[in-house]
Amino acid sequence: MAYALIALGFVLALNAAGAVNFAHGDLVVLGGAVAVVAGVSLGLPGLALLPVVAVTLGAAGFVAARVAILPLAGRPPEATFVATIALAAIVEHGLTVGLGAAPLAAPSLVGSGSLEVGGLALGRQPLAILLVGGALVTAVWFLLERTQTGRRMRAVSSDRYMARAIGIPAARYIALSLALAGALAGIAGLLLGHQFLVAPTQGAGHMLKAYIAVALGGWGSVPGALLAALGIGFFETFVSAGLGDAWASAALYVGVLAFLAVRPQGLFGEPAGRRA
Amino acid sequence: MRPLDLFWLVVLLLPPVLALTVLPPFGQRMVTLVGVYALMGLGYQFVFGQLGALNLAQGALFGVGAYVAALTSPVLGFLALPAAVLAAAVPAAMVAGPVLRLQSHYFALATLALASLVNLVAVNAESLTGGANGISGFASSLPRGTTLLMMVWACLIAGVLLAAHLFRGSLGEGARLLREAPLVAATLGLDGGRWRLVAFVAGGAMAGLAGAFSAAVSGVVSPDVTGFSIMVLCLTSVVIGGARHPMGAVVGAMLAVCLPEMLRDFQGAWLLAYAAATLAVVLWAPAGLAGAIDRLRRLPAPAARPAEMPARLPAVGGPRRLVLDRVVKRFGGVDALAGVSFALERGEIVGLIGPNGSGKTTLLNVVAGLDRADGGTIALDSVNLERLPPHLIARQGLGRTFQTPMPEGESRASDLARAVSTDAAFLLLDEPAAGATDREREQLAMTLRRLRDAGRGIVIVDHDIDLLTRVCDRLICLDGGRVIASGRPAEVRADPAVRTSFLGLPAAAA
Amino acid sequence: MTATPLDVGDFTVRAGEIVALLGGNRAGKTRWLETILGFRPAQKPVVLFGQDVSHLPVERRVTMGVGYVPAGRRVFAGLTVRETLEASCWLPAPARRRLVDEMLALFPMLGARPQARAWLLSGGQQQMLALARALMNRPRLLLLDEPALGLAPGVVDGLLGHLRELAGNGMAVLLAEQRAGLALRVADRAVVLSRGRILRTAPAAELAGDPTLADLMAEG
Repeated sequence: MAYALIALGFVLALNAAGAVNFAHGDLVVLGGAVAVVAGVSLGLPGLALLPVVAVTLGAAGFVAARVAILPLAGRPPEATFVATIALAAIVEHGLTVGLGAAPLAAPSLVGSGSLEVGGLALGRQPLAILLVGGALVTAVWFLLERTQTGRRMRAVSSDRYMARAIGIPAARYIALSLALAGALAGIAGLLLGHQFLVAPTQGAGHMLKAYIAVALGGWGSVPGALLAALGIGFFETFVSAGLGDAWASAALYVGVLAFLAVRPQGLFGEPAGRRA
Repeated sequence: MRPLDLFWLVVLLLPPVLALTVLPPFGQRMVTLVGVYALMGLGYQFVFGQLGALNLAQGALFGVGAYVAALTSPVLGFLALPAAVLAAAVPAAMVAGPVLRLQSHYFALATLALASLVNLVAVNAESLTGGANGISGFASSLPRGTTLLMMVWACLIAGVLLAAHLFRGSLGEGARLLREAPLVAATLGLDGGRWRLVAFVAGGAMAGLAGAFSAAVSGVVSPDVTGFSIMVLCLTSVVIGGARHPMGAVVGAMLAVCLPEMLRDFQGAWLLAYAAATLAVVLWAPAGLAGAIDRLRRLPAPAARPAEMPARLPAVGGPRRLVLDRVVKRFGGVDALAGVSFALERGEIVGLIGPNGSGKTTLLNVVAGLDRADGGTIALDSVNLERLPPHLIARQGLGRTFQTPMPEGESRASDLARAVSTDAAFLLLDEPAAGATDREREQLAMTLRRLRDAGRGIVIVDHDIDLLTRVCDRLICLDGGRVIASGRPAEVRADPAVRTSFLGLPAAAA
Repeated sequence: MTATPLDVGDFTVRAGEIVALLGGNRAGKTRWLETILGFRPAQKPVVLFGQDVSHLPVERRVTMGVGYVPAGRRVFAGLTVRETLEASCWLPAPARRRLVDEMLALFPMLGARPQARAWLLSGGQQQMLALARALMNRPRLLLLDEPALGLAPGVVDGLLGHLRELAGNGMAVLLAEQRAGLALRVADRAVVLSRGRILRTAPAAELAGDPTLADLMAEG
């Protein structure tokens, strides 16, 4: 479910910016780090961290849009790639300098232990992740599909020029999309940070999985990315339960290479939005 | 790319000379490291700088080179170095086939997945790689000290000079076209896939060599050498130095090695500073530091040399006849071309007219192979073109010019000159007169007549009917993807159907 | 509302008037429209509704009351008809929904498929959507770039009918068109362009009967 949040933010940023945001994984890590700092130094309980992380990382996403994405709007996508890779490195090394390279544990959301539900023992943390993740995905869906702001964000993603021609301040909406993506990444970082700890070097791995999910789910497709992210999560869980983590990751990467060799245009081809 | 002048030659030769004469062993080691990173960066410039593709596997290939050198040197001795080159080049060549066809965002993903796979093997295949502990104790079988320094810098200097020399001429021009205007490149007969393959493999081989050298420098190889941070270091140093400057990789590597020494008191801060500098360079100095230094030295920016029309146009040979038979092209449910047939001989100019959306540009695209026909045949003499990729069609003797987009600083005249320079027997010209002044139009008309007299066949699309009337032997009018009139210019212009469709005027008003 | 909706120095468009901008491909029609909207820098001041807007960004000019129907329609592929219309409206929600319903009633082609994604619509439906979208902020000046391109004759007649009706209600319309005969059927005045320059400005009736028009335009 946390993968789904990462992939969701990744695809939102991708659609708005028109280019891959390589710093997305490091925003996830940054979210975890904020949770660690706020949880330990301020002693905030897990649930109270949610808004703190969301607001901080939303601001980080906004800054990312302002410094690395909007100024490069007129340049080829490779320029944005490099700028966001640099941004990713800034976050990673900034965290290393600030917090050290050793992994840290983020506070859990609602304490540890498990609940008895219908005879099944469920961990409280996984359950909380599931609930928070589900709520956020639903909220984003509602925003995009049922509100004026969401419609306009989609219009900007679809055709930036035309969106301006109907009066939408496109730059502001792109920054907004990136802020939303950042908030989702940060919350994912908070959710993952308890079980898998937070280390500055994890960013590339998070980004790669979101990238894979978007490529498998159909470039730019929000539901496709969500489904693919959940699929990757299940796949990893099962393969690593049987064969170990390394084999699970290896199988995933080989699978992606094979997939791209067979279908260079992605699973569903490019969505219609890119034809316009 | 500009040739290296005296200034840059001095910059290139100074570090090894200093290292061999005055620097202490510690300084020598740093100079060697600069050479190692510069070598990897130089290889990276081929794919990323020259062809503009974001390759994220260079760091992993560097790591492969390091591991192979560490594993084979006890047996092979110095021969471990060529073994490392091979070990990096062979997998690069193997994956290159499928990977290089991908669009930019999938290319980045595929190379990233490849790199992650290499890293995974380094960490987990403990019996081979020693796992997280890595491998050590091999350094005595590899070159060391000043020998190593001289080998590294000999390779680097040779590489820089060779690359600067190669990319100065037509190779650099070809790379620029592939990067900025892939369609133009294809219609000139450049095979983009092959170029990328060579660049990817050559760049990978250099990464392997650099990796082997790095193993020799440090004496230890751990999974870190295959990690993403090496890749980021390579990318950022090339961007900071100047992705397309012949000295970009060297300048970037110098900074990458010297900065950590200068910021030694702040653990890790140099990487932070380096990343911030990369972002600043992307935003404000896309030509990199080497380019910025050239600007400070008041050298003019390396301008693309626009192709010029040769003073004499030699007669061309090649196929005699271009024949289109019932060519169909559909977009969605719309027939952009609904069965177009005509023939064109060498030494003839045919003008193609018709309202917006009538299928003129589509027709040129289909003939040049940029769009695939859904039906009908297109043949140059007995060779059928409709299934060939654009660069092979171009090599059959068919050139094409474009409306847009043109690489920066180019004119239509140079676009035409470039198409002419391929000695194509047939030329397809898309609005060569658009935006031209009256005088330029006159020159264009003269050029077209000279090309015809030199035995070329020309199809020209333009809206300047007066120009077409003067130079064309025949006019063909398209509307709704069909030929609605064809014949001598005056006849076609007077044709009531043409007047109605082209101008939307009622026939009677003409 | 007494100020002239559009004044670019070389020509004006007054309320209730349809002005045709005639010229062949690359004569500069789109360039003119984009300059008026602010996508390109202007040589001379652009005056909208009596105000010099040369320094304002595109989105500010549009919300002053300009509707734009671009060349190639450029509908938002993934949005439905209804979503497109809502996104283009700057009124509060209840008024917005009322206006969307009005628009769907005005264009029966769209009213039949309000939930269809734009990229699944036919060319004619997409053109109507582009027009309806431009009308959603109740513009007083409408700019159209070759709206009739690729449409069946019947659909073109419907489109021109809409334009005449809009002008009848006081809207100022600037219609860029290559096919002079078609545009002159609805226009009051026409501006003939060639290679970006204005060759001639004249009442539509005068140009329609002018045998030199064809040659004038062919120069482009």
